[in-house]
Amino acid sequence: MKRIVAIIKPHKLDEVKEHLRGVGVQGITVTEVKGFGRQKGHTELYRGAEYTVDFLPKVQLTILAPEDQVASIVEAIVQSARTGKIGDGKIFVSSVDEVIRIRTGERGKDAI
Amino acid sequence: MTDIVVRRRGRRSLLFSAALLLLVTGVLAGRPPVSLADDEPKPDPAGIATGDKTSAVDAAGNSFVVSEPTDKSAPDYPQKQKDYDEYQAAAAKEPLAVKLADTVGHVRIATNFAWTLNTGYLVLFMQAGFALLTCGLVRKKNAAHLMMLNFAAYVFAFLAYYAVGYAFQWGGVAINAAPTNLGGTPTLNSFLIGSGQWGFLGGKGFFLSGPAYDAGANVLMLFEVVFMETAGYIIVGAICERITFSAFILCELFVGAILYPIFGCWVWGGGWMSQWGSTLNLGHGYVDFAGSTVVHAIGGFCAMALAVILGPRIGKYRKDGKPNPFPAHNIVFVVTGTFILLFGWMGFNPGSTLGATDLRIGVVAVNTNLAACSGSAAALMFWYYMFGKPDISMACNGMLAGLVAITAPCAFVSPTSAIIIGILAGVLVCVGVLFNERVLKVDDPCGAISVHGYCGWLGAVCVGIFADGTYGAGWNGIGATTYLGQAGQGVTGLLQGDTSQFICQLMGATLCVAWAFGATYIVFSLVNAIKPMRVTPEVEMEGLDVPEFGMLGYPEDAIVSAAS
Repeated sequence: MKRIVAIIKPHKLDEVKEHLRGVGVQGITVTEVKGFGRQKGHTELYRGAEYTVDFLPKVQLTILAPEDQVASIVEAIVQSARTGKIGDGKIFVSSVDEVIRIRTGERGKDAI
Repeated sequence: MTDIVVRRRGRRSLLFSAALLLLVTGVLAGRPPVSLADDEPKPDPAGIATGDKTSAVDAAGNSFVVSEPTDKSAPDYPQKQKDYDEYQAAAAKEPLAVKLADTVGHVRIATNFAWTLNTGYLVLFMQAGFALLTCGLVRKKNAAHLMMLNFAAYVFAFLAYYAVGYAFQWGGVAINAAPTNLGGTPTLNSFLIGSGQWGFLGGKGFFLSGPAYDAGANVLMLFEVVFMETAGYIIVGAICERITFSAFILCELFVGAILYPIFGCWVWGGGWMSQWGSTLNLGHGYVDFAGSTVVHAIGGFCAMALAVILGPRIGKYRKDGKPNPFPAHNIVFVVTGTFILLFGWMGFNPGSTLGATDLRIGVVAVNTNLAACSGSAAALMFWYYMFGKPDISMACNGMLAGLVAITAPCAFVSPTSAIIIGILAGVLVCVGVLFNERVLKVDDPCGAISVHGYCGWLGAVCVGIFADGTYGAGWNGIGATTYLGQAGQGVTGLLQGDTSQFICQLMGATLCVAWAFGATYIVFSLVNAIKPMRVTPEVEMEGLDVPEFGMLGYPEDAIVSAAS
């Protein structure tokens, strides 16, 4: 089992969701996050006082998947979230030791 | 724990004082009316004696009734006596006409009551605009505190004004500035300090009892108390996010009972500044039509003194002295609030005629709107040019700046001048905000000092520059027959050749600044030395909502509790 964490531009969320459905993803957890990478922040002015927006708003998706689906999921995200401009985000893939469905107590692959 | 106990005790003593105030006023209101001397005018609580044939006047203000001349040595005595005799003869011949004049006079006063009350209700609604505007401009964590300041300001300042403020301001109005549009309020006829043309403090109408228990005097009270409330609200914008609630209540009592009424007496209550035309030979005396200084500069500079005493919010200035922004938490509130204020201003300025029978209201209403639009446009363009993006909150401040600046001159200037005054104010408000923030380093979260203080001063001075003489003949008792050699010439400014009016305005507006800032600074420096007016740093960083009131403006922001 793998956990795929993708940080994307907020306005790309719907498109990414549709593509993930298309490759058979059953569930997604979405979190609004803020951060910076190479895109960095920018300077703004509020009533005469300058300020830097260091942390830009992004959306983070968390998806659990069996190993054989990971490649197609990653491909779907890359295809749908890409704008070609700086700040498109990143995808992390890591291993998961155990998954438990709270309602039934199912474990492992069955709980995904 | 001890901290909480102390805070509770503070709250209890505040509630206790409020209860005591209500008790005292109740006792005073319940007592029988003060017995009046026989030659004193009688109050008219039911309003049945207000408005008779003496109130029937033509468009130029000439009375239907011709009164008997008293000064036999006056050069025009023979002519006046002849007019009087002719009137008496005609009245004897046509008693029905005299009776009809009684009805006309009553209806005239009734029309003016309706106008003044309704425009007063519009001004009252401005409180909602102020609440939204200022709340939108602060941080989310202080939203409930700010709304409570706005709310309590209305309640406590109102009671203070009722108890003593009204009497201080209007107690001697019938001597030099009787509001004839409302029947003249003849019972408000003595100064507590000063007399004749040197009145400094009104002396009748405490607790609205005795001589002030009168229909006309109550209409005046309703209209004027909401003006005072406006001054009371202005200070919220500069002192919010760091003042304790109890200190704030004290500020409001001070504004409602002392600061505002005293200056109001000097200018509107027939006090010494209004009489500078006769006593110092300066134009029509100090002229402020609807309160650029009496209301706005008083509020703005009182706010400035309080902001200086309180000091900037934690984190407002970096170590190198550069300002940090605390962005507005809800721009939607800011814009909505500004529009409500514009709407309310349609009562503020046109209503200040105290009567719909003064047809200048048409010009006043349009001038007010024009200055609002040109002020906003100027601020927006100025910011766009200077910093590359128009700032929404500054565009709103610009509209208010235009409104504040046109408030004093709105009745005396042409529409073209109104546009120019708005532009001047729109630029001044931007420069003022930057000056406060970067040079003086006075922390003013909502720009109240710049909008109401600086632009209020500008507005009163603009009367002395742009007044075109088409309105205000006989203002403050000056030039009733001729002024500057012309019949019907009203308040006239520098551009039309009356330098003395300009000097008068400059003196008066500057005196207003000195009074508002000076009196507030002295009183509240003492208060602050006795009991600090500022919340503790911990409270300030947490946000004032929960420490001061036990509830958040936006409770869904808190981590979910078991109760939900």
